[in-house]
Amino acid sequence: MATARADLRTAWGHAVALLDRTRRAGWVDLVVIGGLGAMVFALVSLAGRWSTELRPTVEIDLSPWALPQYTFYSVSRGLLAYGCSLVFTLVYGYWAAKDALAERVLIPVLDVLQSIPVLGFMPGLVLALIALFPRSNVGLELVAIIMIFTGQAWNMTFSFYHSVRSVPQDQCEVATVYRFSWWQRLRWVELPFATMGLVWNSMMSMAGGWFFLMICEAFRLGDRDFRLPGLGAYMSVAVEQGDYAAMLWAIAAMTLAIVALDQLLWRPVVVWAQKFRVEEGGSQEVMSSWVLDWLRRSWLLAAVGGVLRRLAALEAGRPRAPARPRPGRPRLAAVARTLSLAAFAVLCLAIVYGVCRLVVLLGDVSLAEWVGLVTAAVLTLLRVLVAVVLGTLWTLPAGLAIGLSPRLSRIFQPVVQVVASFPAPMLFPLVIAALHAAGISLGWGSIALMLLGTQWYVLFNVIAGAMAIPADLREAADSYRISGWRRFRVLHLPAVFPYLVTGWVTATGGAWNASIVAEYVTFRGEVLEANGLGQQISAAAAAEPVRYHLLAASILLMATMVVVFNRTVWRRCYRLAEERFSLNK
Amino acid sequence: MATTTSATPPPLPSAGGTLCEVRGVGQDFILPNGKPLRVLDGINLVIRPNEIVTLLGPSGCGKSTVLRIVAGLIRPSQGEVLYHAQPLVGLNPGAALVFQSFALYPWMTVTENIETVLRAAGLPQDETHQQAEAAIRLIGLAGFESAYPRELSGGMKQRVGMARALSVKPEILLLDEPFSQIDALTAESLRAEIIDIWAAKDRHPSAILMVSHDIKEVAYMADRIVILSTNPGRVQTVVDNGLPRPRDYRMPEFLRLVDHLHDLITGHEMPDLPPAAARLPRAMEPLPEATSGEVVGLLEYLDARGGQEEISRIAGDTRQEFGRIINVAEAAELLDLVDTPKRMVVLEPDGQRLVKAPPAARPALWRGQILKLNLFRMVHEALQRAPRHQVDRDFVLETIVIHMPQENYERIFQTLIGWARYGDLWSYDEASETLRLE
Repeated sequence: MATARADLRTAWGHAVALLDRTRRAGWVDLVVIGGLGAMVFALVSLAGRWSTELRPTVEIDLSPWALPQYTFYSVSRGLLAYGCSLVFTLVYGYWAAKDALAERVLIPVLDVLQSIPVLGFMPGLVLALIALFPRSNVGLELVAIIMIFTGQAWNMTFSFYHSVRSVPQDQCEVATVYRFSWWQRLRWVELPFATMGLVWNSMMSMAGGWFFLMICEAFRLGDRDFRLPGLGAYMSVAVEQGDYAAMLWAIAAMTLAIVALDQLLWRPVVVWAQKFRVEEGGSQEVMSSWVLDWLRRSWLLAAVGGVLRRLAALEAGRPRAPARPRPGRPRLAAVARTLSLAAFAVLCLAIVYGVCRLVVLLGDVSLAEWVGLVTAAVLTLLRVLVAVVLGTLWTLPAGLAIGLSPRLSRIFQPVVQVVASFPAPMLFPLVIAALHAAGISLGWGSIALMLLGTQWYVLFNVIAGAMAIPADLREAADSYRISGWRRFRVLHLPAVFPYLVTGWVTATGGAWNASIVAEYVTFRGEVLEANGLGQQISAAAAAEPVRYHLLAASILLMATMVVVFNRTVWRRCYRLAEERFSLNK
Repeated sequence: MATTTSATPPPLPSAGGTLCEVRGVGQDFILPNGKPLRVLDGINLVIRPNEIVTLLGPSGCGKSTVLRIVAGLIRPSQGEVLYHAQPLVGLNPGAALVFQSFALYPWMTVTENIETVLRAAGLPQDETHQQAEAAIRLIGLAGFESAYPRELSGGMKQRVGMARALSVKPEILLLDEPFSQIDALTAESLRAEIIDIWAAKDRHPSAILMVSHDIKEVAYMADRIVILSTNPGRVQTVVDNGLPRPRDYRMPEFLRLVDHLHDLITGHEMPDLPPAAARLPRAMEPLPEATSGEVVGLLEYLDARGGQEEISRIAGDTRQEFGRIINVAEAAELLDLVDTPKRMVVLEPDGQRLVKAPPAARPALWRGQILKLNLFRMVHEALQRAPRHQVDRDFVLETIVIHMPQENYERIFQTLIGWARYGDLWSYDEASETLRLE
């Protein structure tokens, strides 16, 4: 009797669940279908934009109603570039991790690419691509995407490469003993292992990408206008016309876009990626995403997924020859090997050619010009350091206060995340106007501009570090009544130091890049300059004709400064952080 | 590996009743300074159908390396492996490996972890499901199919590891210390289950090769016990274990076997020679890997038990690996603090004095003992001669390499520094890598 009732109850439960499911599914599916339709329409209109004729100046409609369209253009550029970065990451990272010979060149090349201030290449790139596509917008759009790509790809690639290289030994041995093919190894072992790192780096990259996007969209060279319709151009036109309402609208739209991307894209991806967590133990706070929960309820997506799975099962259901060493195998491996070698040779040739061209170009730089450049470099270095010090001075106490208080961190962490993603160049015109009104020269003002974009990296890292201070260390400090300045010195500073170093490295990198747009600005039709390496780069590029030799020399100098600084100062800091202040030992 | 299940005898007739044979295998590892370090030397080993062979030895003797050579994961520097009388090229087609650390993919459920290896073996979908399910039922994982490894206890994880290995129906099951990271009770039941699975003769695996440092476990499971010695790893003795199954830990024959194994290991590691005679021919003594804290702890332990105890008892009481305890006892013996007649560890007068001394007086006594060793004396004299009484790490490493080329100099250096610090003899600055006289 009792079992019969229990059976009935389970059956009833199933029925209710089914009913419940279908009812909710209707709504979710409508939204999913609507979303798909909107995406198709948007893509069609985007394709239309790409093929329209190139116009010398862009007409920007300052009404708020035009903003959704501009926001869409900007976001789609960012996402397209991200897609390219992801493909690049997978191919380049995998190649470097698997081919010991290529690795010796690929990784240093990546390291150099990472240190080059890419903004310096922008003017040349714009001119070249416009010449290549004289009749359509493709050239300019490509410039934007390439620039964003260069801001996104490197750290993702490094993360993927390191993940593939550091798959635990025993998990590799399982793959070997049970004869996984290279594809199975990639799909079942290496990609899952790399997912967490790749997701976090993707989020950071996307945020970095906005910085470049805003510059590209509002780009003008001398009196030539290369602006692309998008949020960056909207903002620059609004500033030009002094339309404060439009400026606020643009800032709101950008913020909204960042929040929406976070909620609709990154958050679900991060929650999904939790599955690939490597560390054991369930003590970590469980993350959730309403979008993911909601999508999981969709009947339509489940059905599509089911069909796809069944197709895959059909394919897999066919008996296959076991992946054992067969006579055919070595040939495939040999082809792969030859291909890799050929690609490697092409890469080496390209590098050698590039270096030769560079040497020829640098021959034109006179001694006096070199002296000028080095002086400018020292000035910019000082500005970068002052910006980082100023940023640290306020973010260290603020970050500790936020990170050490669960209540504050709950409120502020999402805010800081959005603010850190917000592209600072969008606010440059506003800040410059304020500085202008206050009568502050760009020499000092550029420090403020650098600070605007880079202090958030430090803040973000300090918060993360403060949140990671183990409870027992804090309790020990409490029980021995260590407080105030002493507590900061013996507990807080050492504990967040490794995070602080990471923040500093990112911040200085960002500040060097920002110097190119901060030391040379066009404001209400006139050019403001502050002597520095960034100004040298921008001025050389803006000159008519472009002074390529100076451009090359100044970019090379900046890349050298960045690399030397990384190798000497930051590496030492990293080592100190690892050996003395690591909490993992 | 057989592609279909069958109740017929093993598909490949084995030559002379031998499944797999390791012949004269040696293995060198290249040290960071480019010199090869010999870890295995002249290993011979035969695995026959229907038997369980175990490799027993202290940690660092290369047992796991032997296992990986049999699996075909590592190519030996010398010698060869025969499988069904054919030289092994690449992976061993009949072997499956179970790992000490479980080595499960954390992003796959229990079922996925097992099905993955079957799919890699090229099985069609329905057979994959069937075999995975059979393995899950066989090893008692039913109900856990959709759990992720992080939700499972250590014992359950190792069950998944076993199920994964058994699912491919291997002829030889290779077990790499499979029970050492599991709680004792779970390990007990897993051992019995593995033997049951192996004993059902119509099933795979036919033979098991297991690595272990647990003497009782080995006596319980093995038909043959291969005892390895360290530095470099060599086969010391092979003991046949003909005890009838199921075995009982309290059977007198079982206890006799355990004692015999203890004697074999300790006898080889700690020869019963008068200390002076043992040390004279060697200019320099390799320091056993043991901390000063462990040595003093051993003295305290002995002192609390009337000054002597059996070594296997010490290992059991302190829940330490047997090999580790032997290291500690050797270190204490090297310092003239204990003597080790047969299976016993006995406090010597010097050890008695040290353990009775108040904590503040102990470093001075310890200092006296370590300065009796040639290595300490040599480095100490160098320090006294050196300007500003300091020498750098490389100098000490060189001294160790010159006098003991076979030893792992990094490890000896670590021990040297640890002992000297406890004796307040020298200080060592890690940043500048210099030793200084206190």
